[in-house]
Amino acid sequence: MAEATVTAAPVILSVRDLDVKFNLRGRVLSAIRGISLDLYQGESLAIVGESGSGKSVFTKTFMGLLDQNGEIAGGQILYNGQDLAAFKTEKQWRAIRGKEIAMVLQDPMTSLNPLKTVGSQIGEAIAIHQGLRGSALRDKVLECLSDVGIPDPESRRKQYPHEFSGGMRQRVVIAIAVACRPKILICDEPTTALDVTIQAQILDLLKNLKKKYDLTTIYITHDLGVVANVADRIAVMYAGDIVEIGSCEEVFYTPKHPYTWALLSSLPQLGIKGQELYSIQGAPPNLFTEVKGDAFAPRNPHALKIDFVERPPYFEVSPTHKARTWLLDPRAPQVEPPEHIRDLQKEGVRRYGK
Amino acid sequence: MLKYIAKRLVQSVLTLFIIITIIFCLLRLMPEEGYLGAGYDKMSEVQKESILTEMGLRDPVPVQLMKFYRGLLHGDFGTSWIYRPNVAITEILADKAPISIRMGLMAMGISLVVGIPLGVLMTRFKGFIPDKLGMGFVVLVMAIPQAVYHLFIQTYLTDFFGLPMLFKEANPMSWILPTVSLSLYNTATFALWMRRYMVDELNKDYVRLARAKGVKNSVIMASHVFPNAFVPLIQTIPTLILSTAMGSIYVESLYSVPGMGGLLVDVIQRQDNAMVQALVLIYAALGIIGLLLGDLLMGLCDPRITFAEKGGAR
Repeated sequence: MAEATVTAAPVILSVRDLDVKFNLRGRVLSAIRGISLDLYQGESLAIVGESGSGKSVFTKTFMGLLDQNGEIAGGQILYNGQDLAAFKTEKQWRAIRGKEIAMVLQDPMTSLNPLKTVGSQIGEAIAIHQGLRGSALRDKVLECLSDVGIPDPESRRKQYPHEFSGGMRQRVVIAIAVACRPKILICDEPTTALDVTIQAQILDLLKNLKKKYDLTTIYITHDLGVVANVADRIAVMYAGDIVEIGSCEEVFYTPKHPYTWALLSSLPQLGIKGQELYSIQGAPPNLFTEVKGDAFAPRNPHALKIDFVERPPYFEVSPTHKARTWLLDPRAPQVEPPEHIRDLQKEGVRRYGK
Repeated sequence: MLKYIAKRLVQSVLTLFIIITIIFCLLRLMPEEGYLGAGYDKMSEVQKESILTEMGLRDPVPVQLMKFYRGLLHGDFGTSWIYRPNVAITEILADKAPISIRMGLMAMGISLVVGIPLGVLMTRFKGFIPDKLGMGFVVLVMAIPQAVYHLFIQTYLTDFFGLPMLFKEANPMSWILPTVSLSLYNTATFALWMRRYMVDELNKDYVRLARAKGVKNSVIMASHVFPNAFVPLIQTIPTLILSTAMGSIYVESLYSVPGMGGLLVDVIQRQDNAMVQALVLIYAALGIIGLLLGDLLMGLCDPRITFAEKGGAR
């Protein structure tokens, strides 16, 4: 959790006021509502939030992988001097996909083609982006396989996905993703489908590869345990918007947004034995209609009147930490976070002496 | 693999043996009048008995059965009783089978060559005009009883294209319409299932991963989606080829094709037991071979299927 890199590193990808809309049977759903985010070179960003908060959709826009009924309705995604949001053709995207930005999907059981050998599936990416053929291609595939810790790559190369265990398959998927040395690696819940012992191995592997190839990584997850393990920064998403973003310690120990409070309070690890586990009341807003004010306001016990009228801007807590809540406005009344969260703050002070 | 094939072949022979025995026994339950021809009501009991005894029908059933098996072992299906009396069944079939088989194979060729690309095209333009036109064709062919459009094609298209109405083996033009008619249903079937399986595959994660790798859409279709969609289809192809090659009652009777189409129904009605037994044996054997070939083909195309007794992860 190196905070120094967060501020010093150059911006590699910059998202400005991104809007994504989906057309569902004639109705328009706003999946992403004006997100701005700077991704720093070499950092590891975790995007957390409940199902349907737009985590996956947000990162899919970086690779042009939105479903056919989705479109970028506004904003920019600046990468390497290009605006990815303005890309129109598959050809433009193919120069980015796999080569500049790569992705690891959630379920290794289904993300490999069952009829092709593992080696050919890794080689496919290398052949496209690096133009290697024949024995050069084979050597590169072998290198990729040993890179991700698959023993005996020479014979494993010729095997099919069904001859691999879940963890091994996820290693293959990771090998495909990093085969062409992308700059950014998006991991969409990379460990959700794996059992706990394997999860730790895969996270270690991702961390090592990040270091080895200087990758900038984005983790999408709702497992806060994973987040604490891998992330430098955390972005909390709710209803298609980033409501709080900050370094790992800041978001865990001094969260400012009531949604982050609620999210952390519902962690089973923080529950007290014998007491009922906390759960967030109500349901996420309907994104088919325009959200007025703060999207979390109807479920927020600390909601102010203005929360229902006007969308809060970002308030800066520290240079690296900002949150979108009117509670941080100087005019707002002092609201004490729930008890759990105050305990976390004490814990943070104990650990980091802040 | 060889061991697997051998095992399947032994099983097949056993299955055939059971089928043929059951059919043989059932045929002995047919009313005896059927064997005597049209004038049976004017025959005396003695005459009837002598005919039946001569046909071997008065022997105990196990004896008849043994005789039949012995003939089969020597490759002898026997001679026809009533259909063409005393002509060897192999000779009857030798006249008819080649026409049906040739026409059936050609029809199947058309079905594969038209139906599968049609399915791919429909997937490629899913929801647009090519898809809708293709679906219209599929629904039309599958929903309307075959007899209706076979008749329609014969009545109107022969006129329209100036093709002959009746089949003559020597005239290639007279092959066209019956063959096309015969191919229609399978063409629609292939198009429908090809589209369905491909659409299924398109939504799978490995397709998304391939796109994320930067693979071209056309390459994804050709090298990822198509093979995966084709595997479940491939199993049905040998059976369909064989059943098409056995001829069609409708098409053959409409165009007077002297094929095997209505032969089985015909000989059952005329109680030509020897012919029925021979035909059932052939149809059953072809059906079994079709299934075996289908399984083997699928095993060749899908690495997850192994023919070993044990082993194979998961």
